[in-house]
Amino acid sequence: MALTLSEAGQNVVAGTFGRAMKRAGEALGSMSGQVIEVQTPMLRRCTAADVLTMAGGPESVVLAVYVGIFGSLQGHALLLFSPTDAHRLAQILLAGLLGPGELPMEATSDVLAYDELELSALQEAGNVTISAFLNELGTHLNEPVMPTPPQVVIEMAGAVLDAVLLDLVSDADQVLAAKTTFSEGGRAIDGTLFVLPRADSLRVLLDALGAIGI
Amino acid sequence: MTLTESPSLLVAGIGEMVLSSSSDAHLVAYGLGSCIALAAWDPRTRVGGLAHFMLPNGPANNASPVKFIDTGLDTFLKAMEAQGATLNRSVFKAAGAAAMLTVGGGLAIGKRNAEMMQAALAERGVSLAATALGGNAGRTVQLEVADGRFLIKSLSSVSEL
Repeated sequence: MALTLSEAGQNVVAGTFGRAMKRAGEALGSMSGQVIEVQTPMLRRCTAADVLTMAGGPESVVLAVYVGIFGSLQGHALLLFSPTDAHRLAQILLAGLLGPGELPMEATSDVLAYDELELSALQEAGNVTISAFLNELGTHLNEPVMPTPPQVVIEMAGAVLDAVLLDLVSDADQVLAAKTTFSEGGRAIDGTLFVLPRADSLRVLLDALGAIGI
Repeated sequence: MTLTESPSLLVAGIGEMVLSSSSDAHLVAYGLGSCIALAAWDPRTRVGGLAHFMLPNGPANNASPVKFIDTGLDTFLKAMEAQGATLNRSVFKAAGAAAMLTVGGGLAIGKRNAEMMQAALAERGVSLAATALGGNAGRTVQLEVADGRFLIKSLSSVSEL
């Protein structure tokens, strides 16, 4: 049964998710050693088709790190990059780990080809980013929020997102979608963080924030 | 639902269907993961339809007429007949129902979609001439109304089903 959020309740969720998304951006910045700008997060009640549009359209190709959210609050989180930006971020992450001059991979003409080290680094970046979001959220909750292990998928955005959306719209026509964009100015890397909570599980967050019934 | 006689690309968004009898029409569903697309084409009247189903079962939904297979399939079949197709000579093909996300274990919707589609069609005496179901790759599908060709595009290939 979907929870009907009042406008005030939705504002409370938007504020809390916004702070958590900023923490997520800071975590990505700290891991990559870069200054990451976090675009003002937005929370929208919208249709499944709207979410696909927000992700760049169903056929746009993305590298996605998916983490499922279990525990007192449930839902799905995805960190999306264009294939080119994902390569750039992987280069930065691996340069930080291995030191200059030790990059193991050679530039490839196939933008959809990633070696195992790149995929591992990007998976960990998604994990760290989404975990930072959940940790911030967890400070407001009495019971833990647990992430699944991360999964990296290189696919059309529609194909990555539809299973998540189907999970959310089986008993509702609309979903709550929180989104922000992370930008690393120097190398022009943009990443998009989506968090799609199960609306019925937001009751626990509103309750913990003293906002239930508003 | 969109009915048109003009040459065009008609897109079946998630939970939507498109139909046409125009020989210039291309019916497309982009980026299918766990969703399932059903294509129907009548070789005599050259009427084509493409439905982008989301889930196995649920109540009839006006905003998304083919959101659910069990309540949306008849809506699609009736729309085909209304457009001039005869179902028992039409060719049906299905694609999608992949498993993209494997962590968490709770998102095995593709498999249930494939099973429901096959069962719901069998109940109505309709058989699938060809399928591209399951796996772990996304698909974009396209039905050519002029000749009934059903094309499937993934990140790595384009093929005809």
